[in-house]
Amino acid sequence: MNRGRWLQVKRIQSGLLALSIIALLSAAIHGQQTPHSQIPAPASSPVTWSKNIAPILYKNCTTCHHPGGAGPFSLLTYQDATRWAPQIANVTQSRYMPPWLPEHGYGDFKDELRLSEQDIATIARWVKEGTPSGDLAAAMPAPKYSSGWQGTPDLVLTIPRAYTLAAAGTDAYVELVLPYPLKQTHYIRAMEVHPSNPQVVHHADIIVDPDQSFRHEHPTDWQDGVPGMELDQIDTGKDFDPPGHFLFWKPDTPVLVEPEGMPWKLDPGNDLILDLHLKPTGKPEAITAQIALYFTDTPPIYHPMLLALERDGALDIPPGDANFVVEDSLPIPLDVQLFGLYPHAHYLGKRLEAWAVLPNQEKKWLILVPDWDIDRQAIYTYRKPIFLPAGTIVHMRFVYDNSAKNVHNPHSPPIRVLSGNRSEDEMAHLWLQVLPVNSPPNGPDPRLLLEMAWMQTWLKKDPGNLKPLYNIGSVLDLEGKSKEAVAVDEHILQLYPGDERTLNRLGVALEHSGDLKQAQGVFEQTIAAHPDACDARLNLGRLDFEGNQVGDAEQQFRLMLEKCPPEAVAESGLGVVLANEGREDDAKTEFQKALRIDPDDLTALYSLGDLALKENRIPEAETYLEAAEKAHPEDTDTRATLAEAYEQSGRLNDAITQLRSAIKMAPANAELHALLSQTLASSGELQQAITEQKDALRLQPNDADGWNNLGMEEASAGLLAEARQAFSHALQLDPGHTQARENLQRLPPS
Amino acid sequence: MPAFITALLLMLAAVPATAAGLATDLSGQPITRLAPAGSRAVVLFFAASDCPISNRYVPEIQQLATEFASAGVYTWFVYPNPGDNAKVVRAHNVAYAINTRTALDTNQALVKMAHVGVTPEAAVFVPNGDQWREVYRGRIDDRYINLGNQRPAPTHHDLEDAIRAVLKNQPVPQSGGPPVGCSIIPLNP
Repeated sequence: MNRGRWLQVKRIQSGLLALSIIALLSAAIHGQQTPHSQIPAPASSPVTWSKNIAPILYKNCTTCHHPGGAGPFSLLTYQDATRWAPQIANVTQSRYMPPWLPEHGYGDFKDELRLSEQDIATIARWVKEGTPSGDLAAAMPAPKYSSGWQGTPDLVLTIPRAYTLAAAGTDAYVELVLPYPLKQTHYIRAMEVHPSNPQVVHHADIIVDPDQSFRHEHPTDWQDGVPGMELDQIDTGKDFDPPGHFLFWKPDTPVLVEPEGMPWKLDPGNDLILDLHLKPTGKPEAITAQIALYFTDTPPIYHPMLLALERDGALDIPPGDANFVVEDSLPIPLDVQLFGLYPHAHYLGKRLEAWAVLPNQEKKWLILVPDWDIDRQAIYTYRKPIFLPAGTIVHMRFVYDNSAKNVHNPHSPPIRVLSGNRSEDEMAHLWLQVLPVNSPPNGPDPRLLLEMAWMQTWLKKDPGNLKPLYNIGSVLDLEGKSKEAVAVDEHILQLYPGDERTLNRLGVALEHSGDLKQAQGVFEQTIAAHPDACDARLNLGRLDFEGNQVGDAEQQFRLMLEKCPPEAVAESGLGVVLANEGREDDAKTEFQKALRIDPDDLTALYSLGDLALKENRIPEAETYLEAAEKAHPEDTDTRATLAEAYEQSGRLNDAITQLRSAIKMAPANAELHALLSQTLASSGELQQAITEQKDALRLQPNDADGWNNLGMEEASAGLLAEARQAFSHALQLDPGHTQARENLQRLPPS
Repeated sequence: MPAFITALLLMLAAVPATAAGLATDLSGQPITRLAPAGSRAVVLFFAASDCPISNRYVPEIQQLATEFASAGVYTWFVYPNPGDNAKVVRAHNVAYAINTRTALDTNQALVKMAHVGVTPEAAVFVPNGDQWREVYRGRIDDRYINLGNQRPAPTHHDLEDAIRAVLKNQPVPQSGGPPVGCSIIPLNP
């Protein structure tokens, strides 16, 4: 399973290209907890189902092995247990069941599924002695399992069309797309997957595709399911918000619950991609997978990140080699908590090891899988996160067996095997879920440092690889080091002359470095080389507009409309240009065209509302702005302008509600606090108005107008001494502030 | 090294002809003949409706049955477990689109005749006068090494090789490993 994270080409700003690889998963949480109460049988007393065996099965097996569960048969009753008794003894002794790959003692994992030696011996003895029942009435009650969702989901997504798995053949891998249909961002605290018949599904990965890039890659067949596990080109989206959660399902994981404060996010327009590993059952199986999501209103407090060690480039495994080793290491540049990990290889993987060397040289085992089996792969989450101080180096060492003795070998006789996405190729990946800790509160996003360390490590292994180079450029640009980003982009373009994505990003980096003219030149160059480079056209149009070359901007947007697939953003971009030229009626026509393509286009809705407000058509303004607010509740500009419309129509309370919501989303926006303060003052809430104005001034202490406004509010509230101080402060900041001077003079002498 | 199995001389016709001892078809009629005279071989595929490994082999067995029918090979799905009554098996055959002839081995006479212990397991018989002689017994192929250990695809097709050898009058190669699956439930444990 290879997940690609290309940091996306920015339409408007630069973004990160995401790497190849990735499997997002999530902390596995066990739904059913059954009391652990097996009683070891003394050698002399008989082992019975009711006294000894039922407790073992209920604790370790029936989460899957119940009617309708993921196990191929139930083990809930005495009759069930006797039906499968020889197999139970067999698979527990071989430790095939319960399924658990990591060696005990090499990492303390949550949900460890491991029978004690004593339990295994008890089962063996019970089978050997003829599976006696004991007193059935005295057996502990069987756990109850519900066949539906474990809770009441906030949203259930279903694949567009059922996928049919053939009756016979080798295991199959398929990608199913589930579009996220809501118009609002939601934070996800828990997820359940019902892959229809769970007995068919080995496991599933879920990947968030922010910009529907997979769907665009497969325009004709995405609704039918796309065979394979090739997700190389999933862009991570326009902003730096790297994947941070393992979203993974396996049969014994009924619900994926995220730790407190660490929900993940779905934005409008996102797709969820369900990557299923399926095993034929002997009859055709219709897969009608569903995903249930549980929302939380609380945005994440903690932002984990997935990092990968990988050594695909070294995978060139000769036929017959039973001991082929690859290694990789990754320096961790800052303090992190390691929540969990996901080792991944295909059928030749034999022994997978990972450990950390701490700055004091102490070696700490992270995981050891002595006998890898792709069919039983999983995410492993630590019972307690492991603290890795800055300077730690994480290591992986994977051993592969490409001999005929490896029964999992997909080739008979063995052949040379290289890295690749197909299951018969190989992979060497170790994904880590880490949370940066102890970072300075107002410093840059610590994940940028992790991204940089990761990409630099990658680049050392593979100096000419476009993805780490591109991502390093993106990190530099995001860190404000746009000149260095420019240098990286120029270097990439020497290696990959004319690369469209890099050219466009070079233009963005040049723009950020202040060299607008050259940026324009690069966008023009991009368009000349790639006439269908719509991102570059959009960027050029925007830059022309911002540079007051309104005519050029208009032409660029018109060309975009002519040459690129219809996009609301091009229509509304042209509308903004026309409105700026004073051609309001033409602008409105463009905005309406944009809304026909995308009824939720924010620029069009907002601009139509704003124009109506300026033309004093308040009800119309409210209609557009309310539609904009409904479709884009996260947009604070919309809320502020809508508040203005409400204020003009006397709906002060509605205005206050909008502004309070906006402030909740952008508490550091001084302008919002100031607007709320004025609205509160208009509605007579002087004390609250003063508090808000003070908040605004804390954020923007040099705002002379703000101090003057505070003084007026304080004066109205009878706080004359405070008002005097505020007016004086305004005058200190701006001795020419006429209003403040007059207000000060109007105050009665102290 | 393929060895002939010559020691197992089994006479279906010689089994006491009480109806109770015979397997039945899905309508409850005793099966008195596994194949008409002149047949080249009989293949018994021992199956269980609730055994996942057995079920996974259904398409392969159906394909073998079809492929070798014209060569005079008679293939049977045989259900030996007590829970697999006519109603259960009928539903199972519909679900898995099984159109090969099917036997309910209610008294496990065919189990005894073939000396099998698990599902899925196959046995191949050839005519020997008016008796049947077992020439192959064991796994279908080498996909499963043991429970929990399986190849992505089989590398040896033991049952198919056995049938082909019979049809070519060649020594019948024997199974390269034990059958893997679900134990047949004994009638009187």
